[in-house]
Amino acid sequence: MKFETLSELRSHIEQLSEKKKPGKEIWVCGGPGCVASGSVAVAEEFRKLIEKRASGSSGSFWKDLTVLIRHEDGHPKIRTGLTGCMGPCENGPIVHVEPEGWYYRKVTPEDTAGILDSLLEGRPYKAKSMYGSDGKPSEDPRAESIPFLSGQKKMVLGNMSSMSPLDLGDYLEHGGYSALLKALETMTPEEVCAEIRESGLRGRGGGGFPTGVKWESCRKSPSDKRYVLVNGDEGDPGAFMDRALMEGDPFSVLEGLTIGAYAIGASEGIIYVRHEYPLAVRRLSNAIAILVESGLLGENILGTGFSFHVEICKGGGAFVCGESTALMTSIEGKPGVPRVKYIRSTEKGLWESPTVLNNVETWANVPLIINMGASAFKETGSPNNSGTKVFALVGKVKNTGLVEVPMGTTLREIIYGIGGGVAKDRPFKAVQTGGPSGGCLPGFMLDTPVDFDSLDKAGSMMGSGGMIVMDDRTCMVDIARYFIDFLMEESCGKCVPCREGLKKMQMLLHDLTGGRGQEGDTERLKELAEGIADTALCALGQSSANPVLSTIRYFYEEYIEHERDHFCRAGVCKGMFHVKINEEKCRVCGQCAKNCPTRTIKLAESGKYRIEQAGCIKCGACIDICPFSSVGTVNEVSEDD
Amino acid sequence: MGEIDRIAEIMHSYKQDPRYLLALLLDIQESENHISTEAMRAVARYLGVSESRVYAVATFYRTLSLKKKGRKIIRVCMGTACHLRGSAAVLHELEKGLGIKVGEATEDGKYTLETVNCVGACALAPVVTCGDDSFGRMDPAKAAELITRGAFE
Amino acid sequence: MIEITINGTPIEVEKGTVLLHAAKENGVEIPTLCNHEGLNREGNCRLCSVEITENGRSKIVASCMFPVTRSISVETDNERVKRARRTVLQLLINRNPKSPVIQQLCSEYGVKREERFALEPDLCIRCGRCVRACETNGTKAIELVGRGFDRHVATPYETESDACIGCLSCATVCPTGKITYDESPGKRKIWHKEFDVLKCARCGIYFATKEMLDWAGRPENDRAYCDHCQKYIESVKFLTEHEQNK
Repeated sequence: MKFETLSELRSHIEQLSEKKKPGKEIWVCGGPGCVASGSVAVAEEFRKLIEKRASGSSGSFWKDLTVLIRHEDGHPKIRTGLTGCMGPCENGPIVHVEPEGWYYRKVTPEDTAGILDSLLEGRPYKAKSMYGSDGKPSEDPRAESIPFLSGQKKMVLGNMSSMSPLDLGDYLEHGGYSALLKALETMTPEEVCAEIRESGLRGRGGGGFPTGVKWESCRKSPSDKRYVLVNGDEGDPGAFMDRALMEGDPFSVLEGLTIGAYAIGASEGIIYVRHEYPLAVRRLSNAIAILVESGLLGENILGTGFSFHVEICKGGGAFVCGESTALMTSIEGKPGVPRVKYIRSTEKGLWESPTVLNNVETWANVPLIINMGASAFKETGSPNNSGTKVFALVGKVKNTGLVEVPMGTTLREIIYGIGGGVAKDRPFKAVQTGGPSGGCLPGFMLDTPVDFDSLDKAGSMMGSGGMIVMDDRTCMVDIARYFIDFLMEESCGKCVPCREGLKKMQMLLHDLTGGRGQEGDTERLKELAEGIADTALCALGQSSANPVLSTIRYFYEEYIEHERDHFCRAGVCKGMFHVKINEEKCRVCGQCAKNCPTRTIKLAESGKYRIEQAGCIKCGACIDICPFSSVGTVNEVSEDD
Repeated sequence: MGEIDRIAEIMHSYKQDPRYLLALLLDIQESENHISTEAMRAVARYLGVSESRVYAVATFYRTLSLKKKGRKIIRVCMGTACHLRGSAAVLHELEKGLGIKVGEATEDGKYTLETVNCVGACALAPVVTCGDDSFGRMDPAKAAELITRGAFE
Repeated sequence: MIEITINGTPIEVEKGTVLLHAAKENGVEIPTLCNHEGLNREGNCRLCSVEITENGRSKIVASCMFPVTRSISVETDNERVKRARRTVLQLLINRNPKSPVIQQLCSEYGVKREERFALEPDLCIRCGRCVRACETNGTKAIELVGRGFDRHVATPYETESDACIGCLSCATVCPTGKITYDESPGKRKIWHKEFDVLKCARCGIYFATKEMLDWAGRPENDRAYCDHCQKYIESVKFLTEHEQNK
């Protein structure tokens, strides 16, 4: 249907809130992780099963059941109930049952009948329970008793586990477009800007600039043309928050964008999406088409005289386009090279017009703020850092996945509380936040609250929300090398410090990790990184020094070992360590010998296992497999080893 | 339909505005597996921009390739999570198995092997993708098996 | 007018003036490579870095790009600035050891090439002056192509380009002498392309390529003389007519 006026939309929304949602809903996670683990087949099986039973059964349950399953490409004949990312990717495919709020893990097509049956009988399906706080399958499948879910506060991701990303009706049922309605009916554009400023919302793309201030300054810049842009060029390796939002709740991003356009006086919006996210592009295109059809985008929206058009612009595989000025240059159809930013984009941005560029997650926060009001929004989070932040918790952590927590939650709460600690219970070594431009923080910083200011002070940054956990088998010099390799590959090449400086940092790091380190290399590297931070043209170039500076700051010892002893304690850098079994700790379980690909681990006369150094290829399989941490790296081995 | 006709069709689905330069080239890349000189010339004329600019754009963005790519692109994720869990070894195995280096296409024009910075499926690291299919929790042995059982077909 | 201080000396500057110009007008020289009067400014080389302080916070900015809009204090030659320039020069000399202008600057700042990080010598510093000159002409025959470390200046498809008119603007503005061309009587070769150069019927110099005159829209039947002689002939003609009228 097409909404012609504000009152039409209002009465529709009022009707929805009066109507109680009928029946049960079975949602299968359609996030990239779960899809890769086979969730589409699970959804398919549910569809078949429900169709079969609904037609064959005369029981009242089946008559009441609203089948919320729909195909990506099909018409709403049937709905398959694939949602956006639910978060616990490690345990996918995840199934979520409403209104009970039950969650199941690693569901296979064979489980579907059991889940349906148990739902009928009103009892949980225990075979696929998520883990409780004791690390064992939980008796109670509700989110509250699953630490991964109960530790979170889902605001931005609030609806994503129980809503189809393809259906505007579903979004409206979950409170969608009530914020735009409120803004258009009761607020002037200035009031909307003021509300956002008052909420303390800061840019979720990493910079942390106050969103409301940005909007107001753009609104004040004289021009007859203004633009609102969505930065969906999520390029940080190890980050997929924006992908999850664009794929799982595209309408909320578009509602936020529309409110922003109204507030700053823009008539055109562009969503810049990484081309590596084809599904996000499809979902957003689908949402835009539906919104245009429904009169929520286009000319004279809801009869208010406010017109707003949205286009999608695909990126071409260039990380640098996540930088605001490069993104705009790219939209203009040029190589995505950053511009010097001494004049703000809110004055002169896209095509020299005043422009507001916000990250996907920032836009998704806007409807929340308008709905609940700035003061209620500020109740979540910490001073000067209001609201929540979505993180992609990945790396060597037990429960990887997408998590949303109030700003100010500590790293420890996220990694140990929600994440369940380091995988295989290995020692924690570092956590990397902020992507390639961020930094690595060591164990003693685990109580750092996660907010813009605290992370900055600690030498890392919020970035867009990647959070990568590293254990003792991670070499920090190698990690710095990895990020510098990445940035070197992605530098646009415009300014000297970034183009030539990254090359030199890369040479130094390859020497250090290749056993060719020289005395003073760590200092040389540090000096160079500081020089680049001072002189590079764009934020990306300036922050390219961060991975080097933060690892040197917190893991200096390890650098010196690489430089002076040509030793890699983590056992990562090739040819820079030997593997040895600590016979005192060895419990003779034989796991190492069994898993050794070259069969060079044998029982020695001492009755313990020993590695025959001559045949060892230093693959580290024994280090990883030993349940007693008795295999480790050493710099030198003696004759008798 | 020949290449020229396909390219003409793609071009005419866009307005003649220089802002669509990248979008147009991405579509041509998808359709032709590469951007030929003829395609760049045609696009420059259609959008009214200099050939220099078209060439600069075509060589700046990684997705665009002047060399012909394989019909299917096998991508090994090199995101941080995948790196930590050993994606380099997986890549190496695929290079061995396909007999090509990363960035190259197989002789029969079937596959191109590439790396990608993050596909956002970090929980399943290391990840390999091919078209719409993703293969998670890879290791060298599983990667070799993907080739032998024809998972990329 | 806005009052700022440069190296402690207060001066008045018109709002919007870039720091590099403000400094120059007041007798303070700042080294640059990518900047060229008459071309758009881009801030690529970072050699003109200076330190600005505002509300007690200081940072390094590229003086060729930074417009004066508020009262700030500027240091153009303190230790931090020198360090920044040394960083840039050190990186440049590692790849561009043979350019006289870079050698000169390096000796001024006490920077030596580090053999360990020496890269294959290349005279080009990717400052983009040539590209901007070509763009300013409207010919747009060359561009910075590729990206990152491999970024370089090229014609489309790295081959002879219809757009190039052989005007040599690119070579003229190149600060390092990277852009070279072959010139023999009546012939010129640049960017993979060979041009015929017309000879002036009066003074005998080779003054322009045919393509340059095409680009300038000079009629085919009016191409006998170089600019200089053309003007001379016109003025003689004018004077003769003037005499006759008298």
